[in-house]
Amino acid sequence: MRLPSFLRLSPRWAPYVFISPFLILFAIFGVFPLLFSLYLAFQSWEPTSGLQAMEYVGLGNFAFALEDEWFWKSLKNTAWLALASGVPQHLVAIPLAVFIHNSFKRLRDGVIGAYFLPYITSTVAIAIMFSSLFSKDFGLINAGLHSLFGVENVDWLGKAENIKPAVAFIVFWRYLGFNVVLYLAALQTIPKDLYEAADMDGAGRWQQFFHITLPSLKPMILFGVMLSVIGGLQLFEEPFILTGGKGGIDQSAMTSAMYLYRMAFDFNDFGGASAMSWLLFALVVLMTWLTNRAFRPRGGSV
Amino acid sequence: MSQHVNDGRTSRWLAYAIVGVGALIMLAPFYFMFVFATHSRTEIFNLPPPMWFGDDLFVNLKILTERLPFWRNLGWSVYVALASTALTLLFCSMGGYAFALMDFRFKKALFALVMATMLLPSFMGMIPAFMIMDALGWIDEHRALYIPGAASAFGIFLMRQFASTAVPKELIEAARMDGCGEFAIYWRIVLPLLKPALGTLGLITFIGSWNNFMGPLIVMRSLENYTLPLALRSLQSPVNTEWGALMVGSAIATIPLLILFAVASRQLIAGLTAGAVK
Amino acid sequence: MTVDRLHPSHAASESPTHKRMRRLFLQAGLAVAIPALPVQAAQGRRQLTVATFPLLDEILKAALPAWRRIHPNVDIQIVSRQYGDHHTAMTTALSTAVRLPDVMALESSYVGRFAQGGGLDDLAKEPYRIDRFRSRLVPYAYDQAINRRGAVVAMPADIGPGTLLYRSDLYAKAGLTEADFTASWDAFVEAGIKLKATTGAYLVSNAQTVKDIVIRTGLRPGEGLYFDQESRVLVNSSRFVRAFELARKVRRNKLDARVGAWSNEWAEGFRRGTLASDLSGAWMAGQMANWVAPATKGLWRAAHLPERTFVGYGGSYYAIPRRATPENKALAWELIQLLTLDRAQQFAAFKSQDAFPALLETFDDPFFADPLPFLGGQPARLLWRDAARKITATQVHKQTNFADEVIGTELDNVLDHGKDIGRALADAERLLLRRAHR
Repeated sequence: MRLPSFLRLSPRWAPYVFISPFLILFAIFGVFPLLFSLYLAFQSWEPTSGLQAMEYVGLGNFAFALEDEWFWKSLKNTAWLALASGVPQHLVAIPLAVFIHNSFKRLRDGVIGAYFLPYITSTVAIAIMFSSLFSKDFGLINAGLHSLFGVENVDWLGKAENIKPAVAFIVFWRYLGFNVVLYLAALQTIPKDLYEAADMDGAGRWQQFFHITLPSLKPMILFGVMLSVIGGLQLFEEPFILTGGKGGIDQSAMTSAMYLYRMAFDFNDFGGASAMSWLLFALVVLMTWLTNRAFRPRGGSV
Repeated sequence: MSQHVNDGRTSRWLAYAIVGVGALIMLAPFYFMFVFATHSRTEIFNLPPPMWFGDDLFVNLKILTERLPFWRNLGWSVYVALASTALTLLFCSMGGYAFALMDFRFKKALFALVMATMLLPSFMGMIPAFMIMDALGWIDEHRALYIPGAASAFGIFLMRQFASTAVPKELIEAARMDGCGEFAIYWRIVLPLLKPALGTLGLITFIGSWNNFMGPLIVMRSLENYTLPLALRSLQSPVNTEWGALMVGSAIATIPLLILFAVASRQLIAGLTAGAVK
Repeated sequence: MTVDRLHPSHAASESPTHKRMRRLFLQAGLAVAIPALPVQAAQGRRQLTVATFPLLDEILKAALPAWRRIHPNVDIQIVSRQYGDHHTAMTTALSTAVRLPDVMALESSYVGRFAQGGGLDDLAKEPYRIDRFRSRLVPYAYDQAINRRGAVVAMPADIGPGTLLYRSDLYAKAGLTEADFTASWDAFVEAGIKLKATTGAYLVSNAQTVKDIVIRTGLRPGEGLYFDQESRVLVNSSRFVRAFELARKVRRNKLDARVGAWSNEWAEGFRRGTLASDLSGAWMAGQMANWVAPATKGLWRAAHLPERTFVGYGGSYYAIPRRATPENKALAWELIQLLTLDRAQQFAAFKSQDAFPALLETFDDPFFADPLPFLGGQPARLLWRDAARKITATQVHKQTNFADEVIGTELDNVLDHGKDIGRALADAERLLLRRAHR
């Protein structure tokens, strides 16, 4: 057993020992792929010919990426989808979590469970389910829209301008519950006496929400929004399965992550894909940093 | 129930109704998965699709078990998910604790590194990861599925956030004064305090491992060793897929997650207080 | 889904008679001497790894008993993945030369792409000398596996001759005979107008499918679909203008149901008779009969594609990775030959999985003349056999996949947003020019 040696571990070395699993695993499974893809970003490579087929092309891949119409198109798609699925997630999750927190007792777990379920459902099942639900002439979604609002049948997956909302809905559907759970957790930590004091002062429900609940939730909102931004910019699985891996008509649901994957495995251009992934990485870092700043004016680490 | 909710009854009931309908919308696709599992693929492709359970469940199950070593695949999924959960909890709690409560050189830089790994598009590493797995002799080995991701950035981040509020620094100082070893402090004092966050991370890790498909895709070689997502996908072909069998498989695959969620949902919520308090 | 992506498919279930017949054929297969390379005497057990994808794996499993009789000491390990996953995994394996399978199955559209690199053995060279078998194989299937350097990178196993499946009852109602709508593409579209007016049924599932074939008509030998040998872009040409115009005419007259292949609407269209025809591979008849629209049995017929266009819709190949285990290559080649050059094996695959044989010597079998009940007793295999011989290979460029999509997207712009055809093709050309030499 390693226990005895650990027991004598000096405080000076302890932190390094504790982070060593991360460091070791990162060194083996993180550093090499990083360097490899950095190296690849400067090469032209037809992968099926093997490793020795690489050819140095300087900044050619980056130049290609920046001038590539589809790269920009995919970035725009990503931004659109990240906003259209991310913003409603939080706008709905916060009041929903507050409501569940305040007004549910016995059914609480059941309700939370129902909203959380999509998060654990397998993507294969989701794909076939939604292509059936979104079907134009017989899909339940159109049937519902028609009977409730009299909307004409919408060709969800067959028209460029409709695919994005459909994908955004699925992403919203899948991660709403996750965010509700995040906010429920945060709500539990708000001291009850804050509300009691507010009641005494005669503050209304809305005032309490805006002056107590929302400020107390702020750190969790930061955490949740950051996860949404990172997840949104790396959005891959949902549009991939719903559009059969291609992004749909006019590639209108082809996200950047999907395009990178396709550059590599559909178009066999690993050099270009690597260059794009580094550009995307820079963008994700920038966006994360900006989110962080926006929510935390008074400094502090992440 | 808190007293500060004292608005009119109508709006309350309206809110209940909206939340209820929302829950049903959330559950609908799930319901259809179970319904489709009991229909033949011809029926599944009917429009409108079947709304109620059919009687092809056992036919589908038979196709499924003929085409796949399904129960074996299920077993491997359980094994990999458990192993990956256990390792992740150990490594991330160690790392998170160190980042939250200890001082050491390069701490900021190292933590930035942790965060950076969270942001990298994962599949770019596919080809180099494959080379590493081969160099280690881990091709077709399940450890290739649970070891590499065990010190996950998300996990370390979550643990750090939680530990920085849930573990009082004074307690650790006091324990050190009493001559307690560093590992004993971690094991006897820190770990119990991290319990709620461990529950959360455990659940998220388990779900992630359970649904993981990219990892096994490259590493696993034999159908007998596949985990469920890969095994189920191998049933698909562009023109001829046994959708009924696929649905049964997918439905069965969600059952362990359902049970887990039923058992651990409270833990999940309790643990996520992490960022909120900070 | 585009033409190239389709894989010849295969019926899932198998009737007892088929099983029996297959056993018979397998036993017969033993009698056939398989031309083999000298294989060193097996020392103990050996293992061959075959990477493949669904339904092709079933064919391989069915061939195992025959293999075991020849090589009782050589086990076959089958690594089967989902179709797309398989090709992704093969790209990865080839790129790193790590854990390469001894035999690699490839779908026809991927053969062209994998052929551009140097990852696969040239089967024309010693010790394989595939050219010895050239006369025994369907010509286009063989030619399709030849890359620009003249190497033959894969052995064809099955093919997908293109065909027109149509609802004879609906066309008859509109007063149309087969000659009326197969004479030319224009006649086909004109017939569609009449058909729509009298029966309300759509001509095709999507206008894109018309474009997919028309761009494949009138290719000069050796000319690629989108690029020529020197990577010059060919899309701004009369061939594409015509295809786009025809597709637009289809859309403007509301002759296409605007549904994607393999969607619920698509299947339902065939079942309800709102889709009157389909341009596809011969294997589609089996799919229709089996599960897509079994209730429409007897109402369908097959014909050559309009204007006597002969194109291939998918097909499967076997290749040997260049850096696979050298000691296993002779055995791998022997296994490939068993699967592709053995009459009994080819027939077994045809009967059980609808995999149309690439081996010409199977073509004289009376089986081809059997009436197909789903097609109202028509002996359609004779038609497809005829088509198989007339298809010509097209040169595949490394950017073909990308070009497929660019052209599809531009056609959507024309159909959905009324974009001018000339401008659409010019835009496509510009995008392809940037990639042509990457």
